[in-house]
Amino acid sequence: MRSVDVLVIGGGLVGCATACRLAGAGASVELIEASYLNAGASGANAGSLHFQIERRFLENGDALADQAAQILSLNRLAIDEWRGLEAELGDSLHVHMRGGLMVAQTPQELALLEAKVARETAGGLPSRLIDGEEARAIAPVLSPSIVAASYLESEGHADPKALTLAFAAEAERQGARLSLGARAVAARRVHDGYEITVETGRTRSSIRASKVLIAAGAWSGRMGELFNLHLPIFPVALLMNVTERAPPLIDQLIQHVGRRLSMKQAYAGNILIGGGWPSRMRLDASGRFDPGQQADLIETSLRGNLAVAVDVAPQVAQLNLIRSWTAVTAVTADQLPLVGEVPQAPGVYVAAGGSAFTLGPTFARLLARQILDEPEDRLRLFSPARFSHLNSFMGMAGA
Amino acid sequence: MRSRQGVVRGRPLSLQIDGRVIEAYEGETLAAAMLAVDARVFRRDTQDRPRGLFCNMGVCSECLVDVTQAGQPTRRLRACVTDVQADMVVSTTRAET
Repeated sequence: MRSVDVLVIGGGLVGCATACRLAGAGASVELIEASYLNAGASGANAGSLHFQIERRFLENGDALADQAAQILSLNRLAIDEWRGLEAELGDSLHVHMRGGLMVAQTPQELALLEAKVARETAGGLPSRLIDGEEARAIAPVLSPSIVAASYLESEGHADPKALTLAFAAEAERQGARLSLGARAVAARRVHDGYEITVETGRTRSSIRASKVLIAAGAWSGRMGELFNLHLPIFPVALLMNVTERAPPLIDQLIQHVGRRLSMKQAYAGNILIGGGWPSRMRLDASGRFDPGQQADLIETSLRGNLAVAVDVAPQVAQLNLIRSWTAVTAVTADQLPLVGEVPQAPGVYVAAGGSAFTLGPTFARLLARQILDEPEDRLRLFSPARFSHLNSFMGMAGA
Repeated sequence: MRSRQGVVRGRPLSLQIDGRVIEAYEGETLAAAMLAVDARVFRRDTQDRPRGLFCNMGVCSECLVDVTQAGQPTRRLRACVTDVQADMVVSTTRAET
């Protein structure tokens, strides 16, 4: 039986980065990953650093948008976090913060953009509403059909293939143990924490941990079940696309306020196109969504995604699409990430539920402080306590 | 080199690869026609290193070549899934940035 201060479940960005912060602070840490590092959404997302309020928060009415605006305080912390990451972890992360534009093409979209910028200004985010002409001066690739944009200087992109591995390497240097191909299959409460049963191939072993962090992305809900908890995290399958390499064409992150689009040119010259177009999730043997299987591409998503891209940046039509891929991420019941300790299972923490490439390094820094019992109030908005009603009859009895 | 025995081919035609006129047959892919004349370099990478045909089924995009035809802008096409047409002008020398 191994014994650690903190067991981290999940070898994605949040798991590796939190393991790194915890080990750096002197805690003994083991991270278990059922597959391989960066296998899920952390490695398959398109690498946007988006600090403006996301379009998905704006399309479901004012109440949700107001609530979502509260995420801005975290976005502001994330901007500072990203500015320091390459100095800490090396420049292979390809952090590129050269600005981001969220564009509008219709009067209705312009109104949405105005309301969004007003919320951002109130929240202390220095975004700026600009007209189409100024937007094209900043990003000449934009079509004449763009009537306005909100511009934020600090947005951009980074390399999702590199970031998690950089945090994992640093975590190991700080003394964390990373166990790959190791799946948590059971958990029970013991007097000073939890005992987790781990399956590695055909071998079973047990790990005792004072505290546990569930950072398993789309699998986090299932992992919660091991602790007799409902974690309202729902898997979501998306589509991403990449063109052949092109000469420098797009320096910024381009998003659309009324249509699903994220577009950027990665360091090698390829243009990445996504924006939240659905893919079809596969089902497991019992007929439930299986985030472990490759989701199926939906052709109308592919056509729709590329049509928006070309409509916003006509030159992109000249490029060959070389790959499209699907991957499974997760959203929570109220769209805000779920980060913090679960009240009904003291010592069990969770960090999952979307936007976690942009926000992951910040979640990790703040969550590590919480786990180490340091005063840390900045994650209050994301606390699982807001879903306590789901767990009124759940949780783990004390030993 | 082409197999000669028991093969029925389309009509012969000619096209250009990097300034060199080659013979091919209707129904062949550009990749097949290039390999038949031992033209094995399909493009150059960012360090100007030669890249060859890899998957030969339209997936990997290693065989992207520039193709110009009368009355059309130059297009970048996968040689392995593009049928030859008479008077195509093919270039493999584009500098990758």
